[in-house]
Amino acid sequence: MPNVLTKTLWDSRRSLTGFAVGTALVGTMYAGFYPQVADGAMGQAVEGFSPALREALNMEDIASAAGYLGSSVFGIIVPLIAVIYGIATGTRAIAGDEEAGYLDLLLAHPVSRTRLLLHRCAALAIGASALAGLVLLAMLAVRPGAQLDTISIGQFAAQCAALALLSTVFGSIAITVGAATGSRAAALAGSAGVGVLAYAANTFAAQIGADGLRYASPFHYYIGNEPLRNGFQWADLGILAAAIAVLVLIATTVFNRRDLTS
Amino acid sequence: MGDVIQLEKLTKTYGTRRGLVGLDLAVAEGEVFGYLGPNGAGKSTTIRLLLDLIRPTSGQARLFGRDAREPAVELHRRIGYLAGDFVVNPRQRVGECLTFLAHLRGGVPRARIEELAARLDLDLTARIKALSKGNRQKVGLVQAFMHRPDLLILDEPTSGLDPLVQQTFLDLVREAKAAGQTVFMSSHIMTEVEAVADRVGIIREGRLVALDTVARLRDHALHRFEITFTDPVDQAALATLPGISDLTIDGPTARFALATDPNELIQVLARHQVASLRASEPDLEELFFAYYQTTEAAKEPSRA
Repeated sequence: MPNVLTKTLWDSRRSLTGFAVGTALVGTMYAGFYPQVADGAMGQAVEGFSPALREALNMEDIASAAGYLGSSVFGIIVPLIAVIYGIATGTRAIAGDEEAGYLDLLLAHPVSRTRLLLHRCAALAIGASALAGLVLLAMLAVRPGAQLDTISIGQFAAQCAALALLSTVFGSIAITVGAATGSRAAALAGSAGVGVLAYAANTFAAQIGADGLRYASPFHYYIGNEPLRNGFQWADLGILAAAIAVLVLIATTVFNRRDLTS
Repeated sequence: MGDVIQLEKLTKTYGTRRGLVGLDLAVAEGEVFGYLGPNGAGKSTTIRLLLDLIRPTSGQARLFGRDAREPAVELHRRIGYLAGDFVVNPRQRVGECLTFLAHLRGGVPRARIEELAARLDLDLTARIKALSKGNRQKVGLVQAFMHRPDLLILDEPTSGLDPLVQQTFLDLVREAKAAGQTVFMSSHIMTEVEAVADRVGIIREGRLVALDTVARLRDHALHRFEITFTDPVDQAALATLPGISDLTIDGPTARFALATDPNELIQVLARHQVASLRASEPDLEELFFAYYQTTEAAKEPSRA
């Protein structure tokens, strides 16, 4: 029985598959370099970096599997693609479809704006989870071969759960800006801008002496407490989930109030 | 029979731009109502207000006796809507799109979709992006009519349709009327509305400037004539015809507009040899103009 949720997922199947497979491939490719890094060549190179840079890039412990994956694979590449997926999906969910003229027809049907928005958010969350799930499967597949056995399956799962939520947070920001403005450009620029600032806040807060700033960044709750070393960080996951809930609540409220653009 | 659509002092302002100004209008159950006006007059604004896609600045739109805003989801079950530029995600197949929309309405028998598609010569297995504009509009027609809604709201429904399909569309409207469904259709083309509409409203710059039956409205309209005589033009006889205006003589050809029935014109023509005669349908612009002039003229005495 098709509804807005299943239809949204079905319509986005190609883009979701592309993002998920791409993220998993890039992730495993980088993870595959770990044996060389563990040899020490990379460690020597990093020793030449200043301590501040090493801290910023989370490379203080590059030689351990968790340190390497936390700084490279799960520190930059994979979250970057996952956040781009979230922003692209969130932008299309309301503002993109509204500008294309698709929402008029849907909302002229017996579909409330609240229901439409919640189904679109659910499709985003499911898509982000599928992406993170595929990354997890790929990591587990290369884990023995790439000498990543020091990280447990649970620790990988913890990091991927945070990844799914991180992607959904930025998608929800795009949905909220789109729900408020109806502008695709605003949704895209707004969520991407927040993404850059949030990444910078988490990465460089300590260097600029504003350590507290990192607590405002979703990236901190994604990786700050190192799930690859410490397993599930329930408080952090809860904070990300709460942020999503607040964003969706705001989006629903503003979307119900305004005129649709034509 | 009650009113299916009631607009009460409906006003919509976009920033400083006026969309609609104090619009009052009622459409009765079972009626086919033609909503005419040039582009930008406020037709789509009215329709988007009815569908709760936008909200009135003041006044109220009522459907089936209830505010269009509050129980929008319930009201939409009873409505079929077609936009002038029907757009859906082009990467899906026609059948897939229609099945999805039907399910949003709780399902429509497969046979009904197939019947409508067959009548409109629409291929259900085609991808929407592969369809021409006219064929896309057919998808819109099917989804608007398939669940036999109590009220059809059609915004420029025939845009892009070829004449044959336009006829099928008019048949669909007639069948809807016969089944007791109410139809509210906007257009900027008089001819497509007059064929099926019971009443017509003309909107101009956000105001309703005329509201009447099609026949009565047409009486006010100017018919344009272009007549070529084989003998010299009898200018004096033409000039004295009641309701004539814009008379120009160009060699053997006379051009003029007539605001009444052509009976006296025919008597004049009967006395002469006519080489060719062309009478054009009054177009909507002229109808507007006629109405505009009459309202302006009506104001003059009150000012004096």
